[in-house]
Amino acid sequence: MENAAIFGWALLWILFWGALGGVVTPRIYARKDLEISQASFGGAVIGAALGPFSLVPLWIASPKITGRLIGIAIAIVIGIFVASFALADPDNLCVANGGFVISQLTNGIVIGIIYGLMALGLTLIFSILGVVSFAHGEFYMIGGMVTYFMSAVWLPGVSPLVAILASCIVTFVIGYIFERIFLRPMGSGEIERPTEYAILVTFGLAFFLQYFTQALTSAVPVKAQRFFPFPRVELPAESGTLLKMTPGNVTIFDAISVPNPRFTAAVLALIMLAALLWFLYRTWVGKALRAVSQDRQAAAVTGINPNSMNTLAFSMGAMLAGLSGASLVQVFSWLPQVGIPAAARSFVIIVLGGMGSLPGAFLGGLIVGLVEAAGTGCIPDATRAAAYIPAYSMVILTLVLLLKPTGLFGREL
Amino acid sequence: MNPTAIYRVAGSIAIVLLLAIPFASSELGGVGPLVLSSYFMHLAITAFFYAILASSWSLLAGYAGQFSFGHMAFMAIGGYTSGLIGKFFRFTTAPSELCTDIPLLGNWWLVILNIRRVGTIDESCLDMARAETLPAGTLIVFPPVWASIAMGLVMGATFGLLVGWLVLRLRSTYLALFTIGFSEILRASISAEIPITEGQSGLELVPLFPGGLLGFTSTSKIPPYYAMLLLFLLAMALMTWLAGSRFGLFIRAIREDEEAAAALGVNIVRYKVLVFVITSTLAAAAGALQGHYIGIITPNTLIILQMSLVIAMAVIGGLENIYAASVGAIVITFALELLRTSINIGPLHVDMTLWRLVFFGLLLMLTLRFQRNGLLFPILERISRGGVAEETVSIREESEEDWEEEVEVDQLEDSPSDSGEESAG
Amino acid sequence: MLRLTSNNICKNFGGLEVLKDVSFTVEGPELIGLIGPNGAGKTTLTNILDGALKPSSGTVYMNGERIDTRPPYGVARAGLGRTFQVTRAFRRMTVLENLLIPAMAMRATARQRDFEEKAQEVLEFLTISHLRNEYARALSGGQQKLLELGRLLMLDPQMIILDEPFAGVHPRLMDVIYRYITEINAQGKAFIIISHDMDTIFTLSRRLLVLNYGDLIADGDPEVVREDPVVKAAYLGEDEE
Repeated sequence: MENAAIFGWALLWILFWGALGGVVTPRIYARKDLEISQASFGGAVIGAALGPFSLVPLWIASPKITGRLIGIAIAIVIGIFVASFALADPDNLCVANGGFVISQLTNGIVIGIIYGLMALGLTLIFSILGVVSFAHGEFYMIGGMVTYFMSAVWLPGVSPLVAILASCIVTFVIGYIFERIFLRPMGSGEIERPTEYAILVTFGLAFFLQYFTQALTSAVPVKAQRFFPFPRVELPAESGTLLKMTPGNVTIFDAISVPNPRFTAAVLALIMLAALLWFLYRTWVGKALRAVSQDRQAAAVTGINPNSMNTLAFSMGAMLAGLSGASLVQVFSWLPQVGIPAAARSFVIIVLGGMGSLPGAFLGGLIVGLVEAAGTGCIPDATRAAAYIPAYSMVILTLVLLLKPTGLFGREL
Repeated sequence: MNPTAIYRVAGSIAIVLLLAIPFASSELGGVGPLVLSSYFMHLAITAFFYAILASSWSLLAGYAGQFSFGHMAFMAIGGYTSGLIGKFFRFTTAPSELCTDIPLLGNWWLVILNIRRVGTIDESCLDMARAETLPAGTLIVFPPVWASIAMGLVMGATFGLLVGWLVLRLRSTYLALFTIGFSEILRASISAEIPITEGQSGLELVPLFPGGLLGFTSTSKIPPYYAMLLLFLLAMALMTWLAGSRFGLFIRAIREDEEAAAALGVNIVRYKVLVFVITSTLAAAAGALQGHYIGIITPNTLIILQMSLVIAMAVIGGLENIYAASVGAIVITFALELLRTSINIGPLHVDMTLWRLVFFGLLLMLTLRFQRNGLLFPILERISRGGVAEETVSIREESEEDWEEEVEVDQLEDSPSDSGEESAG
Repeated sequence: MLRLTSNNICKNFGGLEVLKDVSFTVEGPELIGLIGPNGAGKTTLTNILDGALKPSSGTVYMNGERIDTRPPYGVARAGLGRTFQVTRAFRRMTVLENLLIPAMAMRATARQRDFEEKAQEVLEFLTISHLRNEYARALSGGQQKLLELGRLLMLDPQMIILDEPFAGVHPRLMDVIYRYITEINAQGKAFIIISHDMDTIFTLSRRLLVLNYGDLIADGDPEVVREDPVVKAAYLGEDEE
């Protein structure tokens, strides 16, 4: 970085006025007998956006803090952040090379779709059972492992689709068994303080599954072949400036380059997403699931058995994680430990999107994908950037929990 | 004999035994046929280390109901603080001119070494200063280990205060997620800031007793054994006193029902923050001591698996009792070592080194499901209640009289105040 | 002499006005019934008096000190105790420990054994001294209710708010609760009792407050309130029990 100071001061400016706005605004609104549910969060982002120039008018005029106002403020904050970064480091690839930026953004979206799919499973479980599964990452890991072993070791040459199907079945069954033995008793009042129990027992499952897989597979990293290589295409012919496909990569307009495994994984994720939406909104069982998530008692009265819905939701959530793992085992090398960062990322996404919200989980996935892509691509020191990857999303998590625990689409508490 | 007396006698015997163990070690020639290897001594030290972590986590999670997954982060804060002070801080009798010099009392200076660039083998600024600017005969003193450990405790307490204050509004699941986040951020930062922390290759710490102690060399296991045992006993004494005082009463009330406790005059803010500060300080103390004993600390001590090991120890022992949790930690530390073997079941060769943790994971889940109070706690409980099972007949006596008249619950009035177990606000 | 004044309390949740300009004064050891149909704002009012909720506007003073800005534990220390609509005993603590908590919380330097004698008296008064060392979760619903009342005695407030003390209680325990209210009231503590049980509330209380959709529509002698046409129209007429 050439002028790191510019960036540093901009960051300090944002943080200082954000904190001030977050602390002072609710007090002023409370004194004026105004609605204060959004005042802390709104004050923080508006303060972060323009500092005293927006806070003073806000405190004097005290308008109703709408989603639109917050949206504009967030856009300004991001703008300042980006602009100060560009000023501070004008030679950075992220600033100087438009093609690189678009490529990073595309890759961020592509990977974000898969993150979103995994988080959807977690949020589905939460919306029905009221439980955050701390074993979610292990289902992801197992999904990848089963796919790899099916396609590379047990049945070499089998269609990747069969391997993916097998991973779905395995994760679904593990989820089913676990829910029946360990989570079912929570509903009957047999277990005291179910929330704490659920945290610990899913944590125990994570511990168990991880070491179980490690004992079976040893700790050598594995990686599956790409599932569906691209055909070779060049448009226009010979030069390939519009579209250029090689088995491992696709390049559009000579700028946006997406590796084949990521592309395949994102397409698989989108297909699954469509299937999930069809299931939830068009089938009877899916409607029953949604009914239970909205009002357990009312659903029970209409003849839906909430217990079997719990089992279904947990198994399906586990399967969605397994599926994300299955589609990503061709992208990353796979170890029994890969589930931990993936699970942590899913926690971030569902908190960001609002616990239990399906669209929130998907949008949250995209945001986290983009932030990670930006973080990896833009931090000048590459090794340091790589080491900080897990931290980016965790910073989002802590900020959301502190500023707006309901997330983007959470039900207001 | 009444239960308290049983506890006292059992406790005294245990303490005497623990104090006597080193005399049977190979270093001191053993007692008769009993010779404990130095590897055994190492295990014992590790067991005390985990016992401090598991019991302090049980105070935090089991007594106060704050299910934090960040306990190992505080442990690491203690270790890294102490290690970084040892790496970067020196006391001298003259300013170095090349490093950052801070004048202290008299003619003493605190010298903070510059951060070296990665991959270089430059001399440190103090080495250069010794060659160039420092007058001959200048004393250069390393910070004493006890002082850097004490700073580790201070940092642990400070971060405990900060985290405890930040999570005041967060409950159960949200708290668990936040503390995982905190722990991961810390781990990523330590891994990334290689010039300061040495990253994955680990930060080296000076031995606990650099010059040896009472004729024991600096690599002897006996002084560290007593140091860790002392910390363990002090921690247990402190927690016993706390658990038996108003502090213990209040944090358990907060665990059971925060709003009801507040309505009865309990200052919930103060006690929730305090329990974080105290348990974090204990974890930091254990981390600093263990760091100096092992001689190196890596960010891998922060990974979630290390945390789950501590959780497994506390839960299998008994989450809601500090003694059960600490005994659970000691038993499991030794059990994990004993299981470093392989067995043959017929033609099947089973390497237990791989499977032992699978076994403990399963045990953790089954304990939670079927023996919620842990495997050791019910035994302690039975002794203290004089053999009477906990749930007496009173439920059955009264239940037939209990009227099941439905309370007309008013949804509108209830929703704002009673936002349920999962709420974050 | 106790004096609690609530001045023009309003409370909004989003756009919903749950309380509108509620003002009343409690002076001395009164025994007040607070009634109103579902959704009238009774529990919200309790939560505001107790400090669990902040009013959108208005103030609460107790003995000249403003208490609506204090957290619940500050209000408890100022001398106002309450029970909850759903019983909230500390389930995994013994009955004795349940009783010691408020007593210890009120005094910074006290030790447990200073209060054990008083706890024993309270338990005997409530007829549950045989349960002293039981875990609270082993108690029946009615016994847990008595335990909550016992905690209030240990807190020793000047004023007690009981939220539905008679709901779901066996008639025999009901007598104990009834006796509790009258005797403690006679000892000089003020009560506000929220109840759906009209007969009990009319015979027990000497003053009635009636809330209807956030408005305090009546305040006075039960016999007078019973005949008040506004109350009849708004509440008793449509919800006679």
